[in-house]
Amino acid sequence: MSTHKATADRPKLTVVPPAGGGRRKASGARPGRGFALHGRFRHAYISPAVLFVAVLLYLPFLWTAYLSLTSYDGLASPEFTGLDNYRRLLEDDALVTSIRNTLLWVVGTVVLPVGLGLLVAVLSYDLRRGAWFRLPFLLPYAMSGAGLGVIWGFILQPDGMANQILTLFGMPGGDTAFLQDGPRNTVAMIVVWTWQQLGVNMLLFVVGLQSIPKAPIEAARIDGASGWAMFRHVIWPLMRPITTVVFGLALVAGLKNFDIVWVMTQGGPGRSSETLAVTMYRDVFVANEYGYGSAVAVLLTTITGLASYVYLRRQVSREELPR
Amino acid sequence: MVPSKRLQVTALTVGALLLAAGCGSGDSGGSRSELKLYNDKGAWKPFFEQMGALGKQQTGLDMTPVGYTDEPTYTAFIKTSFRTNVKPDLFTWTTGGRLEEIVKQNQVAETTKIWQDGIAGGDLTEDLKKYYTVDGKQYCVPLNTAYWGMFYNKKIFDKYDLKPPATWAELEKTAQTLKSKGQVPFNQTTPTSLFSFAWFEQILAGTDPDLYERLSKGQASYTDPGVVKAMERWKTMIDAGWFSKPGDKADPADHFKSGDAAMVINGTWFNTSMTQRGLKQGEDYGFFFVPNVDPALPKRSLVFESGPLCSLRKAPDAAASTKYLKWWITPAAQEKWANARGDVSGNPKVKVADPELDKVTKEAASGGNRLVLRYFEAAPAPVLTEALSGFDKFLNKPETYMDVLKGIQKVNEDYWKSH
Repeated sequence: MSTHKATADRPKLTVVPPAGGGRRKASGARPGRGFALHGRFRHAYISPAVLFVAVLLYLPFLWTAYLSLTSYDGLASPEFTGLDNYRRLLEDDALVTSIRNTLLWVVGTVVLPVGLGLLVAVLSYDLRRGAWFRLPFLLPYAMSGAGLGVIWGFILQPDGMANQILTLFGMPGGDTAFLQDGPRNTVAMIVVWTWQQLGVNMLLFVVGLQSIPKAPIEAARIDGASGWAMFRHVIWPLMRPITTVVFGLALVAGLKNFDIVWVMTQGGPGRSSETLAVTMYRDVFVANEYGYGSAVAVLLTTITGLASYVYLRRQVSREELPR
Repeated sequence: MVPSKRLQVTALTVGALLLAAGCGSGDSGGSRSELKLYNDKGAWKPFFEQMGALGKQQTGLDMTPVGYTDEPTYTAFIKTSFRTNVKPDLFTWTTGGRLEEIVKQNQVAETTKIWQDGIAGGDLTEDLKKYYTVDGKQYCVPLNTAYWGMFYNKKIFDKYDLKPPATWAELEKTAQTLKSKGQVPFNQTTPTSLFSFAWFEQILAGTDPDLYERLSKGQASYTDPGVVKAMERWKTMIDAGWFSKPGDKADPADHFKSGDAAMVINGTWFNTSMTQRGLKQGEDYGFFFVPNVDPALPKRSLVFESGPLCSLRKAPDAAASTKYLKWWITPAAQEKWANARGDVSGNPKVKVADPELDKVTKEAASGGNRLVLRYFEAAPAPVLTEALSGFDKFLNKPETYMDVLKGIQKVNEDYWKSH
């Protein structure tokens, strides 16, 4: 029932003709017809976009799904091998490491950049000159992922700046192999990722905080709410639209993470820091095993699709979802 | 029905544009005066450009390099080009299994006649020919030839009164001396795992070159006692503290420049990296071929690589590409090419300007060496990929050597079952 109501209430997008009457009005066309997005030709307007998405996304995906059922080296014609690649996936120890690292990335991405971003946003929201407080957190976001990886790769190398600083101040761990041991290397890269991504998450949360209506907060204050209770029972629920977006983006970013890992460790040493996206790239483009790599791609897509679906289903109520 | 007409016109226009784009995307073929040389050596652009200028003078054909710096992207591009109309006039590749792979797909232009004439005229050698031969025919010509050996820091050697070792025992003694003086004897070959195989091939080929060659052909196992022994020797050297820490992001040439590196195994092309940093061969650094581990071997195992310069069977202008390949092997072209990069040449007639390099070239060509193909070319792609990861793991955790070998062997078995 509520779904029907939401649909019925949905406003129709209509281009309003210019005041005073344009050419079409002068020719006798009824207002709202012709350029309206609900007319006979409404599908024509979106067809270019649909075509592009179909050609550049869906067709390659279907082709990848087909390749995952073949043995293919990129040169000879693909040879159909059924589910062999998927059977091989189940026996691949490196894939277990890859899935573990991907999960670490998902958890790490959601907990660290998002959690800390929220903390900084909340702590700085009512602060005088809060914008200046937030600026240093935001600046690293201006760097590209590849540039970030190169710089932090140098900082975290065996005799890099991180170890030198620890040694200089007489702290333990001055010979830490940040990027040489798994899963420590994955954790180190998540921390680097946090350094960059914290700012943008914080910014989104600040926007969310600013969009909260003042009335319910005032009402809660009058009722005696403050501090943690105010945040938990009033502010947090009211921020739900923005938290849904931020957590959703973090979830997908964690699942598909590739660039920073590739630049910093190339998935090594010995495949110890590979994520599913890196495994896919390695199998397809480095080992030239297009069929097996495609199976990894299908697995990654399935996990990402399922995780996104489950998350959005839980977070967004049926009324809010588009029909 | 105005929208309908508009749609029709739009659809026709878009269709026409797409058709035009499709038709125009490929090379139309025919007589060409400018060739594009696709390569995975983006850093060599200035050297390719010098060759382009000389080639234009001597052949009338201009050449423009299109350099990639990422090997997987380059490989994928070349393979994709076989199926599209965007085909390179010339392209670089690797010998060994990868060359065989694209030849078997009937993609590469045959160069048997160029090799016959080249050998008869003394521009190419029989030694090199077998690496360009698939099923009795030759394909591509040598873009470059490089030998692998040890670059050493002359100032450090002089300081401790050390000389290039003539035997493996002397090499070990040199390493011990350097270690006792607080110097790390061997630098890692590169910041990435790309050449993590360097010591594996050096130790194995210097101990049992037959086993090394059988291994690369799928005729031996990575868990063979001979291979295990080579890994154990390598492990002993790591355990002795003779190697710099893996994971160092700096180029070994920078460590030579700063005076930190004492020795590094590399191909002779590493000279380019050294000279680009202002270091002088014979003054700042020297080069020696690594002696065999087993002194009883009749010849010194000399790791070498030769990168092919190829053209496609269906090249945009096959005659122009062939003409360029013929010119590429001539002494005039090779002399320019070798001297521009500061490297050796595969053409025995070429006089390398740098006396130290010339000495290396002559020493490599002497009868006392047994050439063994670099592991990078010798191993099939999936095995190489697994091995690079495995050796990288081993460098960080030497105690994992048996797991590493078993892992490579699993991929090795799978590969040779279907090849």
